[in-house]
Amino acid sequence: MSQLGLYATALPGSSSLQGPPSLDEFVDYLISETTDTTSLVAQLKASSIKDTRDSFLTAKLSNGKDPLSVLDPERHTIGYLYILCARLHQNSQVPPSTEAIEEFCRRFNPQHARLLPEKVTTLAKGIVGLARKLENPKLALRPLHGLVTRYPISPAHLTTLHPIFLTLCVATQHFTAALPVLETPITTIDMSLSDLTYNDNLVYHYAGGVALGALKRWREAEEFLEICASSPAQVPAAVQMEASKKLVLIQLILYGKTVPPPKYTNPVLQRLLKSSPYGAFIKSYPQQRSQLLKLIEKDIETFTNEKNLGLVRQTIDRAPRWLIRKLTATYLTMGLADIAKEVGIETDDEVRAIILNMIDSGDINASISADGTVTFADQLPQISKADVDRLLKQAQEQSRMLLEMERSMNSNKDYLNKVSHSSLISVDVNTVMR
Amino acid sequence: MDVDTVDENETPAESQKAAGKKPLSLPVDDAHPLDLDAITSSYTDRSIVERLVHITAACPAVAVQALQLALDQVFKMRDTNLYFSVRSAYEQCQGNSQGQLPPITEIAPLDQKWIDETAAKNAAEKNKLEVELKTYSSNMIKESIRMAHRDLANYYRAVGDQASALKHYTKSREFCTTSHHVLDMCFSIIELLIEHRNYAHMSTYVFKADAALDATASTARPTGPTAPANSSANRVLTEREKVQSKLDAGLGLSHFGQGQYEKAANFFVKVGPIKSLGTWIGTVIAPGDIAVYGTLCALATFPRPQISSQILNNDGFGAFIEQEPYVRELIEAYMSNRFKDVLGILEKYSTRHAVDPHLGAHIQILIKLITNRALVLFFQPFVSIRLERMSTAFGWTVDELEQHVVALIQSGEIKARVDRQNKILKAKETDQRSVLYARVMKSGEHMASANRKLLLRLRLYVQAPLCNSR
Repeated sequence: MSQLGLYATALPGSSSLQGPPSLDEFVDYLISETTDTTSLVAQLKASSIKDTRDSFLTAKLSNGKDPLSVLDPERHTIGYLYILCARLHQNSQVPPSTEAIEEFCRRFNPQHARLLPEKVTTLAKGIVGLARKLENPKLALRPLHGLVTRYPISPAHLTTLHPIFLTLCVATQHFTAALPVLETPITTIDMSLSDLTYNDNLVYHYAGGVALGALKRWREAEEFLEICASSPAQVPAAVQMEASKKLVLIQLILYGKTVPPPKYTNPVLQRLLKSSPYGAFIKSYPQQRSQLLKLIEKDIETFTNEKNLGLVRQTIDRAPRWLIRKLTATYLTMGLADIAKEVGIETDDEVRAIILNMIDSGDINASISADGTVTFADQLPQISKADVDRLLKQAQEQSRMLLEMERSMNSNKDYLNKVSHSSLISVDVNTVMR
Repeated sequence: MDVDTVDENETPAESQKAAGKKPLSLPVDDAHPLDLDAITSSYTDRSIVERLVHITAACPAVAVQALQLALDQVFKMRDTNLYFSVRSAYEQCQGNSQGQLPPITEIAPLDQKWIDETAAKNAAEKNKLEVELKTYSSNMIKESIRMAHRDLANYYRAVGDQASALKHYTKSREFCTTSHHVLDMCFSIIELLIEHRNYAHMSTYVFKADAALDATASTARPTGPTAPANSSANRVLTEREKVQSKLDAGLGLSHFGQGQYEKAANFFVKVGPIKSLGTWIGTVIAPGDIAVYGTLCALATFPRPQISSQILNNDGFGAFIEQEPYVRELIEAYMSNRFKDVLGILEKYSTRHAVDPHLGAHIQILIKLITNRALVLFFQPFVSIRLERMSTAFGWTVDELEQHVVALIQSGEIKARVDRQNKILKAKETDQRSVLYARVMKSGEHMASANRKLLLRLRLYVQAPLCNSR
């Protein structure tokens, strides 16, 4: 369909118009109240001559005004989006002002925007590109945050915006900015909402894990990295390998040992990990700090290159705590000096500080007497009624969700086809569905 | 021939490495008796020499005596390599003794004449046997070929060439016509393997022998007419009984050599009456050995009721124990919780155990296992006990005991904790109720998160492009 055709059908009374469409007409048309969004999107999509359209979209209005100042981001989301995208294009001579971008991201109409998922992705990438061009990547943070929180149907939906935003947060080290997004775990994926690719899921969870790890929220970081490492893959991706490495280090910080990965994790990853310096490190953890430091000496370069040295150092710093914890299983009482010897720490004071810290954080249950004797007591798990109730509620929620899933699965045509074929019972799927 | 020399010299060195702490020279005195006469009288042929070689190398106190006895025996045989290994064992011991022992040239000068004569005789016989084998092979007489292979194998075995012996034994298998022949072949191989301590291969031939035995039984039965069928079946049965003991002993040794002590113990206690071992007594294994190996393995791995039922109240095994009275003392001390005596007996016979070619490599591990078990058993009835009291019961210092106990707690064998300041061992008390609650909470949370992750995974699968299929 030609440019002319588009506007001939779209704009009443302009059928006689010759030549390329002008921005004025386009904007006028957008402003006219009668426009139906769905049909507009359909027409815009149908016109495939991108370049010419983009070039006319970057122009100014005939009266010299910026079209963005005429349009309202909330009411004219579609048009605004098109113009922004065109002007954010790599070689664009007239980049939009940051205020306009922020304004749009704060106020756009999510329902309209969802009709154009590719454009939203382009916009997000364009914003990052622009910020980089201005040598101030942080500029992109706020608009992207607006996009990522407002665009998805629910926070549990994954979109292409997620990995872009998270990578930016990690790159600019604004980890806290990512927290509101990371708080809700991703459980839903809707391809009609966003043209996701395989890597988006991996990158989002990897970057999320890195951000949480940097904030020392180990437990959540572990979950994110595990999701990344255990995502379905016939051939594991490099980012999954990196995630596995960080995952085991974080597990050492959290539990003092590694946790076996879920069964569905690609076995190649585990094998590779075992033969890397990380495998050797895990095997000998926890030990006295001096020994661990000696152990990693020759691999320090690898750790540095892979940007994991910080994590490795943190794991080593925590090694004495795991050793002390082991002692509580063996001994009832011990002198501070004895502990220092077993754990490989030079001064009693440092041991005392560590033990006090562990008692405070609830890692161990112990007391130190005046003469430096540490008495370990059993750890009594304190469970209140509220805890049990909370857990019960969670469980009920889960089972309700699962039941719902099962019901929808039972009415899924593909599934029924498969079941009836595999069991060799010729059931007419259509009858079943009716 | 070269292969053999290397083998003979290396095996003791290897076993020393395996035992780790085994000292280079073992004491032989009143506290650690070692009766050379008993050894020479309970073994024959090659076994004596093998054992004496070990003793010569490891015990300076009796080295001269052992050397003489070994040489006496070697001269009756035809293995010149064995002669050299006996001598080198003494030289090694003499080298370590810092001049306390006379050099070998003074007590036993090299007998070149015997070597030459034996070598000539051996070569002649080898030639004869090889010619025989060739003739039979060209004549295609199956039975004769088998016998020629067997004779040649026996010859190689006598001169100590294990690899060639094994080769000819296995070759003879192709020419076996009855299962009896197969059985013979298997036993020859097992004997050979035991002699050379090749434990890993033994079980294969034991199973082959077992299959051959089944075949004999099944062919013997239907051939006989109805009336004497009973008696022939009986004959087969006793036949089986006879070889079964050998098979059990063989399997026991095989497992023992590979460090599977519990399986080994099970087979050793099953071995039938002493007589049934027949030709194996002395040449392959002494009845006393079965008692020692079986008991040590059992003490190290069996729970107490099994020890009393399978060792103490087992008449068959009792007969073996009679051969080594100290073994009974050992078991009784163990069963009545006199652990200090147990350790004392083990220490007293440490030299005897260490020079045993089969036991030497394992004795340290076995002692450790028995000690650990004893400690666990000793602590079982207590809620708390002073380490001091425990240490006197075992005859150790408090520090030594503490080390042992701590190791056991860390490996999870004793559920207790040490009060280090007051030197008390206290059993752990757990509040099952709260532990249960904690576990339920934990697994609930775990399930919930696993569920969530699985759902995401499911959705990734459903959306085909998200699941990489590069």
